Amino acid sequence: MADVSSPRGSTAEVSGYVLHRLCVAIPSLLIASFIVFALPRLIPGDVVQLMLEEQASGRNLDDLRATLGLDRPLAIQYVEWLGRVARGDLGESLWTKRPVLGELARRLPVSLELGLLAICFSVAIALPVGILAAVRQDTVADYMARSAAILGLSVPGYWVATLVIVLPAIWWGWSPAPGWVDFRANPGGHLAQFVLPALILGVASAAALMRMTRAMLLEVLRQDYVRTAWSKGLRERAVVLRHGMANAIIPVVTILGLHVAQLFGGTVIFETIFGLPGMGLFLFDAISQRDYPVIQGANLLIVAVVVATNLLVDLLYAVVDPRIRY
Amino acid sequence: MRVSAAAVGRFCRRKPLGAAGGLIVVGLVLLALFADRIAPYDFDETIAGARMRPPSARFWMGTDNLGRDVWTRVVFGARVSMTVGFGAVLLGTALATVIGVTSGYVAGGYDTVVQRIVDAWQSFPFLIIVLSLMAVLGPGRLNVILALGVAGAAGASRVIRSATVAVIGNPYVEGARALGCGHLRILARHVLPNVAAPIIILATIGLGSAILAESALSFLGFGVPPPYPSWGGMLSGSGRSYMYQAPWMALWPGAAISLAVYGFNMLGDALRDVLDPRLRGTTGGPIR
Amino acid sequence: MPISRRDVLKLGGTAVAVGAARDLLAPRAVAAQAPRRGGVFRIAGFEPQGFDPQQTLSYRSLTVLSMTHSRLVRVKAGPAVRPGTTPLEPDLAESWSQPGDTTYVFRLRRGVRWHPRPPVNGRELTADDVKYSYERFLTVAGNPARSLLDPLEKIEVLDRYTVRFTLKEPFAWFLDVLASTSMLIVPREAVETYGDLKKAEACVGTGPWMLERHEPGVRVTLTRHPEYFLSGLPYADGVEVAVERDPASRFAAFLAGRYDFGPEYAMVLRRLDLDVARQRKPGLQTAEFVLPTMNMTWMKLDQKPFDDLRVRRAMAIATNWRDLVAANAWAHGHGVPNPAIPAAFQEWSIPLAELPPEGRRLYEYDPAEAKRLLAEAGYPTGFTTPVETTAGYASDYMDGVQAQLQNWKAAGIETELRLKEYGAFLATTLAGKFEKVALGLFSWTEPDSYLYRLYVPGQPSNVGGVNDAKLTEMIGLERRTFDARRRREILWDTQRYLSQKAYYLYGPSFSVVVAWDASVRNFAPNIGHDYGGRLVAAWLDR
Repeated sequence: MADVSSPRGSTAEVSGYVLHRLCVAIPSLLIASFIVFALPRLIPGDVVQLMLEEQASGRNLDDLRATLGLDRPLAIQYVEWLGRVARGDLGESLWTKRPVLGELARRLPVSLELGLLAICFSVAIALPVGILAAVRQDTVADYMARSAAILGLSVPGYWVATLVIVLPAIWWGWSPAPGWVDFRANPGGHLAQFVLPALILGVASAAALMRMTRAMLLEVLRQDYVRTAWSKGLRERAVVLRHGMANAIIPVVTILGLHVAQLFGGTVIFETIFGLPGMGLFLFDAISQRDYPVIQGANLLIVAVVVATNLLVDLLYAVVDPRIRY
Repeated sequence: MRVSAAAVGRFCRRKPLGAAGGLIVVGLVLLALFADRIAPYDFDETIAGARMRPPSARFWMGTDNLGRDVWTRVVFGARVSMTVGFGAVLLGTALATVIGVTSGYVAGGYDTVVQRIVDAWQSFPFLIIVLSLMAVLGPGRLNVILALGVAGAAGASRVIRSATVAVIGNPYVEGARALGCGHLRILARHVLPNVAAPIIILATIGLGSAILAESALSFLGFGVPPPYPSWGGMLSGSGRSYMYQAPWMALWPGAAISLAVYGFNMLGDALRDVLDPRLRGTTGGPIR
Repeated sequence: MPISRRDVLKLGGTAVAVGAARDLLAPRAVAAQAPRRGGVFRIAGFEPQGFDPQQTLSYRSLTVLSMTHSRLVRVKAGPAVRPGTTPLEPDLAESWSQPGDTTYVFRLRRGVRWHPRPPVNGRELTADDVKYSYERFLTVAGNPARSLLDPLEKIEVLDRYTVRFTLKEPFAWFLDVLASTSMLIVPREAVETYGDLKKAEACVGTGPWMLERHEPGVRVTLTRHPEYFLSGLPYADGVEVAVERDPASRFAAFLAGRYDFGPEYAMVLRRLDLDVARQRKPGLQTAEFVLPTMNMTWMKLDQKPFDDLRVRRAMAIATNWRDLVAANAWAHGHGVPNPAIPAAFQEWSIPLAELPPEGRRLYEYDPAEAKRLLAEAGYPTGFTTPVETTAGYASDYMDGVQAQLQNWKAAGIETELRLKEYGAFLATTLAGKFEKVALGLFSWTEPDSYLYRLYVPGQPSNVGGVNDAKLTEMIGLERRTFDARRRREILWDTQRYLSQKAYYLYGPSFSVVVAWDASVRNFAPNIGHDYGGRLVAAWLDR
């Protein structure tokens, strides 16, 4: 498992590691692609029945299935889909005929922006609070900091979002969600529409991060010589803090990496409330409408992004800490 | 790891926040168990002529748009939330333990394959898996438990597997194997007790997550269905509609959710501080 | 005009409240000002499910398509029309005649131009286009509205501007069906170029506005058709349909002045929010409607205990329709009970007072009487039954369901609620695959559908399995009776008969409020998805 003997940072080492991780990722992707193909087809009521509503019977069903290419054996559909994916073609939506890849290209940045901004807020809140809590361990400040962090994640986000949107409208006739503003049309307005939802999301995810920061810092601070150094003065304190934070980087990055996966699905609710055309809502609608190509394409993209992020995080690990390499 | 009254007492003194969390948890469990004794009405009982009444002596938390007592529904909602929470966590933990322990213990090819599947499973956002499963299974209390449990098992299994692997490396265990101890015996006597700590912590925090997840599912239409009142359902449904005209309809279930999640998390945090070997021995007190 | 049941509470209805005919007109709407050109209507709308009017029944698509396409005849719009009534007027056809019982001849307007967009490029509309469009309607795979034109046998082009329709049998509602938003005329070139009309580029019509841009999930932007066949119209330069998913956000945006019309379907504003809205938006114009959408209880009539009329009557008498109406945020206590044809259709629905005594009884809440009937039928302690429905309509809907089930419980009818996901519900329960009892919403725009689809054997919506020869005969008769007064008599008789048979149970319809901004003039709401028809002659005074 852990190879302690290798020297740190040699290119061959790292690229070998990357290759190994890639090889490991491919079967995961394949398994994921199978789940992604099979699961939506297990949902009762297929897309043709939904499209035809009352007329869904007999010949109507068969005709429409044939038109949409859904009458062939599932195994063949799966293989054919994989083949197209390999060529970069994710198919078309069954309801709107729009190419899936194009739609994803439009929606992915929205989710990414929301997620990244949320992470920024999360870090901006969690780090100072975590440091404070560690340095003042078991005092009132620590308790309050930890309480506040947990409170941040205890209140359901959609509730805060609803209050934030509706109350100003009732009181002052102003509402924060102005209807989607494209980046090219108005960069400032575009970014502004992410601030509120990102803030709410960030506050919720700050707790885990704060916990980790505090724990990591405590681990450093508990050593006696460190405590001695701390008592010597500000400069020494800065050094201690830097050392502690460097220690915390890896676990923090791990947690952030985990959050990336949640970025896409978890934002469905916020996309609904704030009117952001992101991936979460796209996928949710596709599930409700049994739009198989969209479900498959969107899920696959999400999985690919998550796998890529994990790879990146692992890479960071490998570069930073030579002990973690296998 | 033995739990005695003295240990609990020490815990309360050293970790007051965790103790507070524990108190909240105990309170909620009691509320859930004795819901029918505590609540003044039936959870779906409509009281004639009492629509959308603000909180009063008769209706401690007011009434909703159908004329039902909100306090009653919050109390029964505790039962639903606890059921869903404990059910999901039980299922998830059991699954995660089985997967994690066997994967770590058996190792080799089995481990590799299982880990690839867990990888794939974990690459999906939590809510998307849950939604997909709910779409397949259909609405229902049991289905919510199933979906939440299965979706949450992957990540937990990773942690448990790491803990298992750590234990197996222990010379104690190697020695036991050399002596010819059976696998089950080793699992029971050495692995499980050492894996118990992360399991407990995961479970406690998982309860908070399950309650939040159920409320998110309710917003999307896949939460615990009527007639059982669920806090998430009350908050995301008519609570939101009547938010301005009858804020008490959403205020109390929302507060209940927050309180419950807060309690579970504080407790889990404190337990982690106490049980996590890495932090054991950290002397208390601020650094001056 | 048919409305899919999927279109639930959002189905636009425009009938006046039964009884006291509340005045629908806003105080300033009938101004004698000269209309002003310009401005853009901003509407809170929905994401269209493709732009093919012959592949959808959904209000989501049809509301937008009603602004870009036209049909032969349409429902008159404007403040002079009483909502709930559907007087017809020419759209693409300038006149029509009915030489025989089963033949209709339409003379098209001259100089009607398609939108100046490829591949049609603004050429003139001719009778060939009409024939093509209707034949495609009848033959294209995946048309959920096809059964609307079951009686149609053939279409012939008589000359460049004349079309003749021949039906298999006389059908008195034919013209009303033709006025539906499902009968929008589509161009041949678009179909041939794109294969189908789901894409935005293929959305070419003859309507007052053209589809300029579709940003999926965000908005649909429409701009004026420079050569619309009604000269001078439309007054507004364009329409912007914003896609906003969450009702709370929609309402907040409405208060913040982002929409010119009420934020829900058919420009409805929830009655619950009315006071707040009036405070925030002085001068807000409103009107009241009864939606034709009604809550229905379907039962398998071949299963015990629902084969017994007394049990069905007990279930109706045990339901307090006022509770359902009070629990709903759109209606907020205002609503009307429905006979077999919803009260929203004032011209055809029978007033409850005209029903026979047993029929009237069904609407009078009396749990004691319900218990007595059940005991008489052999269920002195009531019975238990599974009930299937879906939460996918709206959260308000489930409140109504719970109110109803609570009512039944008080009479001894215990229920086991089985919820289905919306799509699964459509595909299974509404298709007739349920065990004993199903609850749902039913909504179409012509009154005949409430009888024909539900009660004629073999019809897909006849999920209870009704096979009553006398009833079938009465329905057949009304479909063949052209004289409106005589038809009404037959319909009233049919409704009386149905109230005595109680095959299915009818819940109430909601009376909702439609709102529009102080600056909007010459607008009035009505039944159906025809946003285009109602907006074409409206204008903005700002």
